[in-house]
Amino acid sequence: MAVEKIKILVDNKEVEVVKNSYLLQVLQKEGIEIPTLCHHKDLTPNGTCRLCIVEIEKNNKKKLVTSCNYPVSESIKVETKCQKVIKHRKNLMEMYLGRWPNVPIIQQLAKKCGASDKEKYKSELTDENPKACVLCGHCVKACEEFIQEKIIDFAGRGIKRHITMPFGEVDPHCIGCTSCAFVCPTGAIEIIDDMNHPVDAEMIRNYGMKINAEMATLDKNQCRMREVGTANIVDVMDAYDLLPVMNYRYGSHKDTWKTDSKMLKKKYFTQDTPDGCWKGCSMACAKAVDNFELKTGPYKGDKVVVDGPEYETAAGCTNMGCFDPEFAIEFNFYCDTYGVDTISVATCMAFVMEAYEAGCIKKEHTGGKELKFGASAEVLECLHEMARGKGFGVDVGHGIRWLKNKWIKEYNADAQFLQDIGMEVKGLEFSEYVCKESLAQQAGYSMAIKGPQHDEAWLIFMDMVNNQIPTFEDKAEALHYYPLWRTWFGLHGLCKLLWNDVVPLSNKKYKPQVAAKVPEHVEDFFKFYEGMTGKPLDEEGMLNQSARVYNLQRVMSVMLGYGTRKDDIPPYRAMGPVTKEEFESRAEKYYDKQIKDIFDINPEEKSIEEKMKMIRKHREDQYQRVLDATYKRRGWTKNGIPKIERLKQLGIDLPEIVDIVKDMQ
Amino acid sequence: MAKLKIQDIEKIAKHEVEKAAKYKGMIMVCTGTGCVSANGFNILNKMKEVIKKKKLSNEYLVIGTGCMGFCAMGPIAVFQPEGTFYQKIKEEDVEELIESHIINSKPLERLLHRDPITDKVNEKIEDIKFFSKQQLIALRNKGSIDPENIDHYIAYDGYKALKDVVIKNDPDSVIKEIISSGIRGRGGGGFPTGIKWESGKKAAKERDEVIYVICNADEGDPGAFMDRSIIETDPHTVIEGMLIGAYAVGATEGIIYIRKEYPLALNRLKIALKQASEYGLLGKNILGTDFNFTIHIHRGAGAFVCGESSALMASISGRAGEPRAKYVHNVEYGFRNKPTILNNVETWANIPVIINRGSKWFSSIGTGDVSKNPWNGSSGTKVFSLVGDINNTGLVEIPMGITLREIIEEIGGGIPNGRKFKAVQTGGPSGGCIPAEKLDTIVDFDSLSEAGSMMGSGGMIVMDDKTCMVDIARYFINFLMDESCGKCTPCREGLFSLNNILKRISEGNGKESDIELLEEICETIKETSLCQLGSSAPNPVLSTLKYFKKEYEEHIIEKKCRAGICKPLIVYSINNQCTGCTLCARNCPVNAIEGKAKEIHVIDSEKCIKCGICAEICKYDAVEVK
Repeated sequence: MAVEKIKILVDNKEVEVVKNSYLLQVLQKEGIEIPTLCHHKDLTPNGTCRLCIVEIEKNNKKKLVTSCNYPVSESIKVETKCQKVIKHRKNLMEMYLGRWPNVPIIQQLAKKCGASDKEKYKSELTDENPKACVLCGHCVKACEEFIQEKIIDFAGRGIKRHITMPFGEVDPHCIGCTSCAFVCPTGAIEIIDDMNHPVDAEMIRNYGMKINAEMATLDKNQCRMREVGTANIVDVMDAYDLLPVMNYRYGSHKDTWKTDSKMLKKKYFTQDTPDGCWKGCSMACAKAVDNFELKTGPYKGDKVVVDGPEYETAAGCTNMGCFDPEFAIEFNFYCDTYGVDTISVATCMAFVMEAYEAGCIKKEHTGGKELKFGASAEVLECLHEMARGKGFGVDVGHGIRWLKNKWIKEYNADAQFLQDIGMEVKGLEFSEYVCKESLAQQAGYSMAIKGPQHDEAWLIFMDMVNNQIPTFEDKAEALHYYPLWRTWFGLHGLCKLLWNDVVPLSNKKYKPQVAAKVPEHVEDFFKFYEGMTGKPLDEEGMLNQSARVYNLQRVMSVMLGYGTRKDDIPPYRAMGPVTKEEFESRAEKYYDKQIKDIFDINPEEKSIEEKMKMIRKHREDQYQRVLDATYKRRGWTKNGIPKIERLKQLGIDLPEIVDIVKDMQ
Repeated sequence: MAKLKIQDIEKIAKHEVEKAAKYKGMIMVCTGTGCVSANGFNILNKMKEVIKKKKLSNEYLVIGTGCMGFCAMGPIAVFQPEGTFYQKIKEEDVEELIESHIINSKPLERLLHRDPITDKVNEKIEDIKFFSKQQLIALRNKGSIDPENIDHYIAYDGYKALKDVVIKNDPDSVIKEIISSGIRGRGGGGFPTGIKWESGKKAAKERDEVIYVICNADEGDPGAFMDRSIIETDPHTVIEGMLIGAYAVGATEGIIYIRKEYPLALNRLKIALKQASEYGLLGKNILGTDFNFTIHIHRGAGAFVCGESSALMASISGRAGEPRAKYVHNVEYGFRNKPTILNNVETWANIPVIINRGSKWFSSIGTGDVSKNPWNGSSGTKVFSLVGDINNTGLVEIPMGITLREIIEEIGGGIPNGRKFKAVQTGGPSGGCIPAEKLDTIVDFDSLSEAGSMMGSGGMIVMDDKTCMVDIARYFINFLMDESCGKCTPCREGLFSLNNILKRISEGNGKESDIELLEEICETIKETSLCQLGSSAPNPVLSTLKYFKKEYEEHIIEKKCRAGICKPLIVYSINNQCTGCTLCARNCPVNAIEGKAKEIHVIDSEKCIKCGICAEICKYDAVEVK
């Protein structure tokens, strides 16, 4: 959306402002000092202390407004220092002085506002305590906006107003996040104990509050994790042609709006309640659908709470050609209830559907089910069969690799076709991104130790959309760094989403390749580590911690028979167009262009079959080169085996480990 | 009950009228809260019992109506079709009343109304000035229908307006009609209702959001009972108003926020909602169309501030009732951050009549030419609760533009006990006091504001010359201080401070600088408070300072309270009219009066607690207050 700008007059000087920005921000940006007690830069404006009043003139009428929460929506005249404003600020500060004469922040503000009379408003309520609560409300806002709780709030009307927990008792729901104490300007809220006894609680708090503040102020304009969770990605991926549709054939669909995050928010997600993996998470991106009435299965007719749908589940549904949010929610519920993964089931069903439509399998193989794309009722039936241990659903439960073998062997299905479209590596189904046009993402998926999932190296945007890692070396570096960085989260029981699903405004100052790492947030995590353990950590230290584990995992993969070069190769669907329609759908945008740029051939001179062949050859070759570069960067052999010298370097060259790989060097 | 179709409304009305025509007469017994507290329900039951006993049930129908407004005279009954008005009826009067009025066709004179000034007996309701000067729109059905019977409402053109708008099927034209009627919000703000609807609808359309309509029935002003009476008298008019509003703006959900302290109104509202739902006037496919609308009741817990729209919406959402800055309006971001239309009970009650009789008719009543711009005047009527030192306490609906004098002297019947009028407080606690010399001020939104008070929701408290204006200011400021939510500094700290200063003035400890200090604090509260309740809160002080500054000065400098109200400033003494009857001495609770029988008594001012009992019981006006 374009930003609309308007001009206003501030103390007779013309100032251009973004429409609807708060006046106080504008004034502060202009270097005008405005006294305020209840305003906090990371919290929504309160407008209660009234100190930030200024006089505005609009439609020839003058009035006083509190600048902190006044949105500038039209061309107004602003007076920040007129007699009226000065007089009232002084009077207000005298009221504060009468009530809390010894609180330093009150004394400072009083001085600024020219108030010194402590007697004028002296009364039986005068509180001499220098750390008295001055009712600014920061703590209430921080509780609500930093971690979306409502543990403390105001109670009592009028002059009896005070800060308290429910019923005036210590609320057991308070998790001691200390946000309230952190923002308190007077010290009225004290931290008396740090329960986990970190080495440097102050350090953790300072860096943690930074993230809390970012969540409170930036998320709503970035990924909207609090509002819709990871489901926000559905809309984004569709827009970038990366949303898997019909077994990864296409990257967007005209019906995506029916099941995107806007629709989920509007009609399904329960809003206004924090819903996180753990209490106190300031992101709290888990979303739920309450009171959902099931239409199928053993719980038909029951109203249930469904945890989700998150991005991968919603995209799994578009991958099956199902654009009905109620199906997605029901599918989500039963996968959770039966203890199966939504991604694996969805990707597997998408494969089944494509095979069915292509005639590889027929109705008699599916127990009579017409398993075309979009057959949502049949998907649910397969799922129930899987749980019952009866019917075609049981076959689906074995996964793509098993199905391919069976169909080739028993139904004499087209082996090459099934290998090309069966989206699995190492026996695990793909996560829900179309990685065809991103070489780095293909490798990020396929080289992942446990199979093609996005947790190790999600490089699709960096590589394809932003073109930040153009060379093989760049890609190899990313495929070295990111899996290790992400492994580090796992090693420390931390969530990765706070790292780059909200990014600080300062991130803009970095070059794209560096910006992708969100350096400031990496630093925050290092500080958490240091605050907790007392040991400083830097990038090298972090990479070494992870590399030990990562290489050990690879050795174990080798031992289990999933850890060599052949196990890191994806099906062709992950690299390029398998079918003509697929080719045609993106010919203009990608394939014809490549034919022209790489082979210097006019695409119009070649048939589709010829072009498809050329593209395939090129892409498969490119993939091999990425593998080479990445193995090299990781210190592995050409066959993808960790070299013994690398194991030594990492200090994990234990005899039993070396034994496994020594003959494969 | 079957859901109604469009044509059924007329059928029911016709049927009801025919049914009523079978009776020779009807006895309308007031069962508004005022009359109920004076035994109204028992009077109603007794009437029914006697009619049955006298075997008149087939000829006479007894109906319990809502508030007829003349609360000072309760319990009230009106015998129709003659329109004979009986007041202050006791249970033991009922038999005699029926005997006399119905069987002997002779009005029972001792229960008829007497004019407080001329002492003339008024037989008919239309002869009573209290009623005859009124013009009824919001209260049009008072005394005519049983509020618990939807068919009665329908018989008096009820739900006809709704029927007409759904037939016309042009929601925007409804908004246009409301705008050109000129009606402005009756809750106090005086914002043009139609413009509010228009902006809410626009916001909802632009953002593709749902829109809510809310009825504000959180009437919290001391001495005000307009909204309560409207709901108790005619709950369906409020529901129909909301239905029309919802239809016009495209809402499907409405909320009535009503104080918990209004059990009778709440009960009648619940009955009305149930009946309307059973008739399919609420719910899905209203009158067989595709219009859906439901109404929920939300009960307030009694905080005055919850009458403020944004605080009210916070309260409905389950949060503490605190206002927010209104730089972004409720019509855009209100309840649940959705566009929200909030109108007061009385405003909603006017809507069906505007539709039925047309905006032209409505705008012809009142002041200014509002046909082009609702801000140009005040059209229609306004309901006031007339209380305090006035003969005809009660509820009145008057056309905008009549003077305060007409209301007080004619409708209100003047000041009782031969005392003099001193001031009238309008606009609720944060309104202002208007003095005798301003009695010819006309009643509309702008004139009252100019006089330093405001229309408010319609409270009107009349004060005689025994009222101390400092004490009045202190009373209202004390109320407002207690009811301030405390969110913003000027209202919270400022009112507390005003209260302290007024207290010390009324105790004789005022300083000469206090008047200036009061003015300074008032100005800061007025200019810098967060919400309207805060910014209007200093009005009681400002308006009394404006018109009665002398009294403040007397309290501060001369340490004197001319009305004899501020106890620390008054002294009781006995003059030579004392006959030594000993009555005062015997009744003094602290034995502060001494004196032998048949000798002049003396009050020991050290002991005297200034309770005033002696002055009250003395038959010879011998006790003086100075």
